[in-house]
Amino acid sequence: MARLIRTEKEVEGRFEEVWLVVEEDALQQWPAGAREVVGQPATRVDGLERARGEAVYTADLKLPGMLHTAVLRCPYAHARVARIDLTPALARPGVHGAIGPRDIPQLEEECGYQGTAVAAVAADTFEQARAAVAAIEIEWEQLEPVLDPDEAIARKQLVGEPRERSRGDLEAGLAEADIVVEGEYRTQVVLQSSLETHQSVVQWVGDTIEVYTSTQNIWGVREEVSAALEIPGDKVRVVCHYMGGGFGSKNDADDFTFIAIELAKRTARPVRCALTRREENIASGNRNATIQRLTIGAKADGTLTALGGEYVNATGWGGWSTPVEGPMQQLYSCPNVKTTTWGAKINQPPMKPFRAPGFVEGTFGLESLIDVLAGKLDMDPLELRRKNYAGNDPSDDRPYSGKNLMECYRRAEPHWERRHDVRARSTDTVKRGVGMASQVWYGGGGPPSYAWIRVGSDGHATVVTAMQDIGTGSKTAMAQIAAEELGIPLDHVTVTIGDSARGPYASLSAGSSTIPSMGPAVRAAAADAKRQIIEIAAQRFDLEERVLDITVGNVVSADGNLTVPLTEVLGLLESAQILGKGARGPNPTGMTVLTFGVQVAEVAVDVETGEVWVDRIAAIHDVGRVINPLGAESQIEGGIIQGIGHTLSEHRLHDPRTGQILTTGLDAYKLPTIADVPEIVSELIDQPDEHLTNLGSKGLGEPPIIPTAAAIANAIRDATGAEVHELPISREEMLRALKEAKERGRIGAPKEREGHRAPAGV
Amino acid sequence: MPEVNVNGHAYAVHGAVGTTLAEALRDELSLTGTKVACGEGHCGACTVLVDGIPTLSCITLVHAVDGAKVTTIEGLRDHPMVYSFVRADALQCGFCTPGQIISAVALVDSKAAPSTEEIRHAMAGNLCRCGAYPKIEEAIRTWQD
Amino acid sequence: MRDIELRQASSTTDVDGATPIHGGTEVVPLIRAGLLKADTLVDIRGVIPRGIDGARIGAGATLAELECDPQVPAALREACKLAASPQLRNMGSVGGNLLQATRCWYWRLDWPCRLHGGDECFARDGEHREHAIIANDFCASAHPSDVAAALLALDATLRTNRRELPIADLYRLPTEDDRRTTTLESGELILELNVPEPEGSVYLKAMERKRWAFPMVGVAAARSSGVTRVALAGVAPIPWLLQGGLDQATPLPRNAYKLDVAKTLVQRAETALNGG
Repeated sequence: MARLIRTEKEVEGRFEEVWLVVEEDALQQWPAGAREVVGQPATRVDGLERARGEAVYTADLKLPGMLHTAVLRCPYAHARVARIDLTPALARPGVHGAIGPRDIPQLEEECGYQGTAVAAVAADTFEQARAAVAAIEIEWEQLEPVLDPDEAIARKQLVGEPRERSRGDLEAGLAEADIVVEGEYRTQVVLQSSLETHQSVVQWVGDTIEVYTSTQNIWGVREEVSAALEIPGDKVRVVCHYMGGGFGSKNDADDFTFIAIELAKRTARPVRCALTRREENIASGNRNATIQRLTIGAKADGTLTALGGEYVNATGWGGWSTPVEGPMQQLYSCPNVKTTTWGAKINQPPMKPFRAPGFVEGTFGLESLIDVLAGKLDMDPLELRRKNYAGNDPSDDRPYSGKNLMECYRRAEPHWERRHDVRARSTDTVKRGVGMASQVWYGGGGPPSYAWIRVGSDGHATVVTAMQDIGTGSKTAMAQIAAEELGIPLDHVTVTIGDSARGPYASLSAGSSTIPSMGPAVRAAAADAKRQIIEIAAQRFDLEERVLDITVGNVVSADGNLTVPLTEVLGLLESAQILGKGARGPNPTGMTVLTFGVQVAEVAVDVETGEVWVDRIAAIHDVGRVINPLGAESQIEGGIIQGIGHTLSEHRLHDPRTGQILTTGLDAYKLPTIADVPEIVSELIDQPDEHLTNLGSKGLGEPPIIPTAAAIANAIRDATGAEVHELPISREEMLRALKEAKERGRIGAPKEREGHRAPAGV
Repeated sequence: MPEVNVNGHAYAVHGAVGTTLAEALRDELSLTGTKVACGEGHCGACTVLVDGIPTLSCITLVHAVDGAKVTTIEGLRDHPMVYSFVRADALQCGFCTPGQIISAVALVDSKAAPSTEEIRHAMAGNLCRCGAYPKIEEAIRTWQD
Repeated sequence: MRDIELRQASSTTDVDGATPIHGGTEVVPLIRAGLLKADTLVDIRGVIPRGIDGARIGAGATLAELECDPQVPAALREACKLAASPQLRNMGSVGGNLLQATRCWYWRLDWPCRLHGGDECFARDGEHREHAIIANDFCASAHPSDVAAALLALDATLRTNRRELPIADLYRLPTEDDRRTTTLESGELILELNVPEPEGSVYLKAMERKRWAFPMVGVAAARSSGVTRVALAGVAPIPWLLQGGLDQATPLPRNAYKLDVAKTLVQRAETALNGG
C-alpha cells in the first residue's frame, strides 16, 4: 500500500523536509559478503561502446539542421552593459538568430562576474556564430570588483545568511583545556574540469522540447525547464545516455540550456550550445576558495574539550555556502563546538558543488590542526583520533545507522606502522614521512527513486529507469543488483537509462547518492518481478510459492526436486512479459546516515627545491555493502588522484587587480597526469549498513577525495616538521613552510616529535 | 584537394584551410570517436595516429596531412587494447578513453611490454579527469593477456 | 581560421611574406586564439633538414626523435624528454621549439602588454608566480623552452638560410623600441643546429607536475674544455646564460621561490657534472 510520510532529504549536506509516498518494502537485506553477482568484480556494462568511441555523448550529437551557438560573456569581473546592439551580428553570414539581455533571464546586463552570459548567436557553424558574436556592438561600464572575501563580509556582501552551529560552551571548553592550538588554513579555487564541457542540444518537436544535455540530474533539468517555460513536465524530454564527467558541476540546466531553448524557438531549428574549454574554465563552476580560522582545545590526555571554527566560503557571485564546518561538527566527540560559516559574495564566478563540497576543504584544515595538536601533546595521531571517536552523532546524540570508522582505523594500522621504515629512508635533502586523515561525509541517498523491470520469455531482463551514469559505473551496479535478485547471470540484464521519457523518476547523481538511492529501487523492482515468476512457476508445477526460488537462471524448489530453466517457465509467455516496479523506501528515522574512512599517505619532500612526491596512499573506507569491488576501486583511485591535484598542482588564478581569470586553458590549469599517481591501496569494510534500505549500501563517489589533502599535509609535517597552511602546496608554500620550520629549529629533528619511538635497530 | 586515408579509406577533404583534422574527422566524416576536450593541444583527448605517430588532431591542420595515413579509434575497434581497457576498468566517463587507447596502441607497437616508467612517460599527454590512471597503466601492462 | 592560404615551400628561400609552419604545435593554436595573424601559411616540412648526424641536427627533427638518440648530448636529450607532452614532442620540431612564445597568461590572453606592443607589464604588479626572476624589468614573461636552455649551455650554433649564429644571438630581450624576443628576420628559417659534443652535460627541471609542464626552472649545464656553461629556462624573458651567478636576479614578490629553486638546481647541475 502506498503510504504518505514526511521525511528528511539530504543532498551534499543540505537538508530539507519533503512529503513522500513510499511503498512498503518487505525485503530483507542479503547477508554480508560477496554473493553470486553482487560483491563480485564486474567490468562496465557500457565499457566497450565507450572504449570504442561508439558511445554518443552530447558533444557528438548532430541533429539534422542543427545550429551552433556562441555566447557573448562578460570579460570583466564586474561590469554593466551600457549599450548593446545585436543588429551587426544578425547581418553576418550563416546567422539565424541572436538574443540579448531581457530576452531570457539567463542573459544579463548587470554582470557580477567574468563569464556572465550577455548575448548569444546561433549560426550554421560555430565559427560563424563566434564571428557574429565578435560583431555585436557593446559598450561596457566597468565597475569596481570586490575580490577579497574578508572585505566582502565586512561590507555585508553575503551569499546566504551566516551559519552558526553550536553545542556546549566553546569558551568553557577552552578554559578547561590544558592545551590550545590555533591555525589559519586557506584553500584555493579548483575547477571540476569535466573533459566534456557543459553543453546542451535542444529541439522542439511539436509542443515538446527535447533537451539532450551533459547532466548529472536529468530530472532536475526537466523540472527547471518545465518551470521556466511554464509547460508540463512531460512536455520536456531530457536525455543523457553518456556524459563526459561532471564531478558536481552538472546538476543544473544552466544558461547554455536556456540559450539553446530560446534560439531553437526563434529559429525553429535544433540548436547546440556548448561551452568552449576557456568558457568552461571560467563560467562552469568551481570549488570555491576558503579561509578557515580554527581553534582546538584538549586535555593533556588528548581528550578534546573545544573545537572552534570561523569559516569563510569565497563563494563567488552566487551558488551557496558549502558545509566547510561539517568535519569539525561531525568528526569527533567533543562537547563544546562552535562554528560560524560565512558565504562571501565576491566578483568571481559562482561556485558549483565539486565532489564533497566543503568537506574536502574543511577536512584539510581540521585534520591538519589535529596533527599539530598531536605533536604538541606528544601523542600518536592515530591514538588521538581514536581517543575522540564519536560513538553517536556528536551534534544530537542520535545513533548512526552504521559506523565502522574504528575498524577503518584498525585496518590502517599496518599502513601507519610503515612510518618508521619510511622515515628511515630519508636523506639529507629528501625527507620522508607518513600522515593520516579521517573522512566523514553523507552518502546515504534517499527517496524518491523508482525503477521498472521487464523480464521476457528468453529469461533476459531489462531495468528501465531514467537515471544517468556519470562515469561512476552506476549502470553496471544496477545490472548487478537486478541479476542478483532475479537469480540470473549478469549478462542477461540490460539497463536502459538516460531518458526522462523512457522510465520513471530517478535520483540525481550527486552527493554520492546514485547507488544508495537507485539500488534499492532496482532491487525492489526485481523482487516484484521475481515474485510474479515464482507465482507462475508455482501454478505451472503445482508447488507452493514459498518453496520456490530462482538461482543461476533456474527455478528451483527447496527440496531440490525441481530445477527448471527460467526460460522454460517464461517460455510459456511468448511475447508477454513480466513487469516489476520498485521504489526507494525512506531512510531510517532517528538515525544519522554517514560514510566514514581514513587515508594514510606517504610522501617525500625535497627540502631544497620544495618538490613533493606522493609515493603511496592507503585508503580504507566504510560505505556499507559494496556492489562492485572493481568499480569501487576505480572510484577510490579517481577520488584520490583528484585530491592530489587539489593538493599539489591545481589552482585557478585571477588577476589580483581586475579579478579576471588567467588559467583558462589546460596548460595553465594543471590537472594531474598519469606520472603524478602514487601507489594506491584501497580497502573497503564492506559491511552492510543494517538500518539502511534493502541493500545496506552507501555512496562512494565523494568519500575518497575528502581526506587526501590533509593526509598529504600531515605526511609532509611528519617528514620535515614544516606546517603547510595553504592549498595547493606549491613550491612557494612548501619552501615557506620549510623556512618557518627551520626558524623554529625543528628541521632535522622530526623523530623527536609526536612521541615517535623508532623501533630498535632503526 | 587534399586526400587523407582514414582507417584504410581514402577521403577527399572539403573543408577550408584552417580546418583541423579533428574537425574534419568529426564534422565531415562523422567519426565522433575522436573527442575534443580542450581544442588547444593540451589534453590529448583528440589523439589520433598520423602515419603511426600519436598526434593531436585538434591542432593539426587537415591540409597538412595530405596523403597521410590516419588511424582513429574507429580503426582500432577490435584491437586487444580496447578489450584490455574494458577488462581493467581503465575508463570511467570514457571521454578521454579513445585518445588514451590511441596513445597506448602506439606505445605497445613500439615496445610490446613497456615498463611502468615507459608507460607513464608515453601516456603523460593524455589527461583523464576521472583518474583512471592506475587502471590505464594496468590495461597497458596486461594488454596481451 | 578562414581565408587562409596554405602552400608548400619549394625551397628555403620560398617563404617571404608567409608564416612558416612545421609541426604546427605553436602556430595553429596561436592562429586559432587570434594571437597570430596569418594570411598565408607556408609548409616548410619539405625543405628543412631533419636528420641527426653527430653534432649536426636538422632543425626539422622532432623532440621525440632527439630524446632517444644516443648521438645527442645528455642535456639536450633530457630537455627534450622533459618538455611538453608525448604528442607535442612527436609533432614539434626542435627549430620550432626555439621560437615558441612565452606562456605568460597575460600575453596568451592578449592583454595589451609590452610584448604585444602596449605600455604595461601586467604580470609585474599582477599574478606573476610563474614569471621571470631575471631581466624582468621591462617584461616579466618567462621563456618556456627547455631545449633552448640546453642548447645555450651546450654552446650550439644555428645555421639559418641567411647566416650562422651562436644560439645566444638568436635571442634578445624585448625593449621599448623593439618588442621581439628573437633576432630572426622575416623569411629567415632555422635549418640546422650544430651541437658540439661536451665532456659532460645535464638538464634538471622543476615543474608543477611530474610530466607535461613548462619549466618553473630548468637548468642546463655542459662542460667543455674544463669550462662549465650553465643556462636556465623559465627564469627570464629569453633563455638565460648564467654569468656571474644568480645574484643579479630581481625576483618579484610572489616568485622569489623560483630563485631558491634555481640556486639549488644550478648547484646540483654543477655537482653532477663535476663527478657527482
